[in-house]
Amino acid sequence: MTATITTDRRPTAGGRAPATTGPRRDRIRKNHPAWFLVPAFAVLGVFFFVPTIFNFVYALTDWSSFKSEIGFVGLRNVRDLITSGTLLGSLRITLVYAVLVALFQNLFGLLLALLLERDTRINRFARVMFFVPVIMSALAVGYVFQAMLKPDGAVNGILGTVLGRDLTIPWLGDTTWTLLVVALVHSWKWMGLSMLIYLAGLKTINEDVLEAARLDGASAWRTFRDIRFPLLAPAVTFNVATALLGSMNGFDVVQATTAGGPARSTELLNIFIFRTFGQGLFAQATTMSLVLFLVVVALAFPVIRTLRKREEVL
Amino acid sequence: MKKYLTAAAAVAATALVLTACSDPTAGGGSQPWDAESAAEWPQQTADLSGTTLTIWAAQNSTTVPEAVVGAFEEATGAQVDVVTIPDPYEQGVQTKVATGDKPDLAFWQPTASMLTALNAPANLQPLDDAPWLDAYSPDVRDITGILDGTRYAALITSPAVEGVYYNKEVFAEHGITETPTDWASFVELARTLESEGQTPFFEMAGDRWATQWWVQVQLADAAADGLWDRVNAGEERFTDPTILEAIKSYKALVDDGLFNEDIKTATFEDQADALLAGDAAMVVQVNSFFGQLQAKADTAELNEMIGFFPISPSGNVGTFIPDQSNALVAFKSGDESRERAARQLLSFWLGDGYADFVADRDTVSLQTEVPSPDTVPQALLDVHASLADSVGSMQALAVANPDLYIYLADMIQGTTTPEEVARQTQDHFAQLARAQGVEGF
Repeated sequence: MTATITTDRRPTAGGRAPATTGPRRDRIRKNHPAWFLVPAFAVLGVFFFVPTIFNFVYALTDWSSFKSEIGFVGLRNVRDLITSGTLLGSLRITLVYAVLVALFQNLFGLLLALLLERDTRINRFARVMFFVPVIMSALAVGYVFQAMLKPDGAVNGILGTVLGRDLTIPWLGDTTWTLLVVALVHSWKWMGLSMLIYLAGLKTINEDVLEAARLDGASAWRTFRDIRFPLLAPAVTFNVATALLGSMNGFDVVQATTAGGPARSTELLNIFIFRTFGQGLFAQATTMSLVLFLVVVALAFPVIRTLRKREEVL
Repeated sequence: MKKYLTAAAAVAATALVLTACSDPTAGGGSQPWDAESAAEWPQQTADLSGTTLTIWAAQNSTTVPEAVVGAFEEATGAQVDVVTIPDPYEQGVQTKVATGDKPDLAFWQPTASMLTALNAPANLQPLDDAPWLDAYSPDVRDITGILDGTRYAALITSPAVEGVYYNKEVFAEHGITETPTDWASFVELARTLESEGQTPFFEMAGDRWATQWWVQVQLADAAADGLWDRVNAGEERFTDPTILEAIKSYKALVDDGLFNEDIKTATFEDQADALLAGDAAMVVQVNSFFGQLQAKADTAELNEMIGFFPISPSGNVGTFIPDQSNALVAFKSGDESRERAARQLLSFWLGDGYADFVADRDTVSLQTEVPSPDTVPQALLDVHASLADSVGSMQALAVANPDLYIYLADMIQGTTTPEEVARQTQDHFAQLARAQGVEGF
C-alpha cells in the first residue's frame, strides 16, 4: 500500500516552463549546479536501480545458500517454475486476492464516505475510528483476526449468541472461501484510507451542480449515480489502483492470519517467495519476485490508463 | 546535462552490479581455516573479559542455554547474548547468513542436509578434534553432526526419535497390556480401539509439520536398507512404490476414520491436550511433543499417563531426527578471538558445565560420566534407549529436506492425491539437490 500514483492532471510546476534566456538562465545554472543532483541520484541508484537490476541478474543464476559460487544458468529458473505449475497457481491466487481486495476496499470506503459525509461531531469521531486500522501494524491486525476467526473464537461466539446455537465454523480452514475471508480482513484494514480519499473527492464536488440537480427534481440515488459518482473519478482511479497493485504485493495480513494455508489456498506469491528464499533457493525466489514485478507492471499500465480515460469526461 | 547524468548513473549501476555479483558469505571477510588454529582448544575457564559472544536460538530453544551460559559468564567474565530468531527459525537464519549476518554460535539441526543448507565448509568452524568427543557415550558420538567427514555440530541433548506416544490409561481401559510389536499389530490395535468407540490416533494437519512422521516411520526398514542413498543418487524417487505406498497407507488410515475428526485444523497444542485428556490413544511424534506435554503436566503425572514405543514396518525400530534444539554450530565470524571464545564456550558446555546443564534442563545425559537426573520422565528415557538401534530419518540421511509435510497436509485437506504428493516432493527434492550441485539432478 505504499504506491503513490498521481491523479493530479494539472501541469506540474517545473514542466514546460517558458524557455529562459540570457543572463537569467546563467544565474539559474549558477544557483542550481547539476552536481546538486548527485546525492539524490546516488540514493535512488543504491536503493532503487541497483536492487532492481540485481533482481534481473540473479534471476538468471543458480545463487543458493548451499554453495559460495554463483553461476549463470540462463532461463532455467523460469522454465522450472513454469513447468512445476506452482508459480502459476500462486499467481492466480494473488490475482484473485488483489481483485477481491480492490473490490471490497473501495465498496466499504465509498459507503463509509457517503455515510460520514456531513461534518457532524459524531461523523468526525467515526471517521477517526475507521481510520485507526490503517495506522495499525498489519501483522497485529492479522493476528487479532486469526484469533477472532478460530473455530472457538470471538466471531463464532458472537454469531452463536445471536443465532442462539453453538457455532464452530473454521473461517480460516476452508480451501475455497478462506481467500475471501483474508481479502475481507485486508479490505477492513485499508478501507479507512479509501474512505478518506472518497471524502476528499466528495468535498470537491461543486455545490452548484448538486443544487441544480435538486432543483430539477433528481432523487438522491439519481444524483449519486449520474453526478456525484462520475465526478469522483480521480478518487476512484487512485483508490482502485493502489488497492489492486498494493494487494498484489500483499504479504503481512495473510502471513499473520493463515500463513498461506489451508492447503496453500491462500499462498500469495510473496508468501511463496518468502518460503522459497528461506529454503536457501535464492535464485528461484528472485525469479519469482521478478515475475511478480513484471505482472504488477503489466497490470498497472492498462488499469491506470483505463481509469484515467474515465476522468477525461470531467 | 540530463543525458550525461543518465549515462553516469547507468555506468555506476553496471559497475556495482559487476563488482557485487558474488555471494557475500563467499570468503572475503572470514579467515581461511588452517590446521594450526583448528587444533587450538582454549582452557574451559580461561579469562574472556571484554569478549561478547552471540548465540542465535529459536523460540523453543531460547531458554535452553540460560543456566549454562550464566555459569560460563561467571567463570570467564565473557558476556553472552542469546538472541531469539523468530519462527520459522531455519528460514530466518539462512536468510541472515546469506546476507553476511552471522552469530558466534547458533542452535542448528545437525543433519547433513541442514549443514549443507548453511554452506558449512564456508561458514562453520570444524569441530573434529573437540576435547569433549571422548566423553560422549559411544552410541551417540558419531550419530549426527558430520558432513562429508567433517564434524560441524556439537550435540548437546539426546536427538529426537519419531515414534508413538500413547496414553497408558486409555490402553488399560481397553485391556491392552502389550504395546504393538510391528506395523500390522499397531494398525490392528487402532482398529480395535476405533470399534470400541475410542479415537485411536491424533494428527495436527493444521500446523502441518508432524504429518511427515507417519510416512517416515513406515520407511524405517527401507531406510536401514539404503533407501535414502538411492534417493540421493537419483536411482529411486519419491514416486516409486516404496515411498508412494507409505503415503497411500497414511491416506488410507485417515480415510478409514482412525484419526481425530478435526484433523484438518488441529494444532500441535490440541494434539498434546488430546493425548493427555485421553481423547486420542496414540500420537506419532518427536521429542518436542514431549516438551509440550511437560509444559502441561509434571513428571509424576507423565510417568503415570504417557508411554513411548518406537514403531517400524517389521518391528520396534525408531527413526531418529535430530532437531535444532539438540545441537549447536560455531560460525567462522572472521574474528579469531571470538571464534576461539566460541570454541571455549562449547568446551565448557560439554565439559565442566554439562552436569549442571542436564540437571537444569531435566534431560537425558549424552556422556558416560554424567548421569541423567532422576527427574527425567520415563518416556524420555525410553526414547533415548531406542536411539541405539534406530535408523536415520529423511532429514538425517537425504541430501535435501523437501517440504514433504506441506504436501501431506495438502493431501489431508483433500486438495491433492498421494500420487501428487509424491511428485511434488520429488520435484522439490530435485530442485534443492540441484541447487546444492548433487550429481544426477
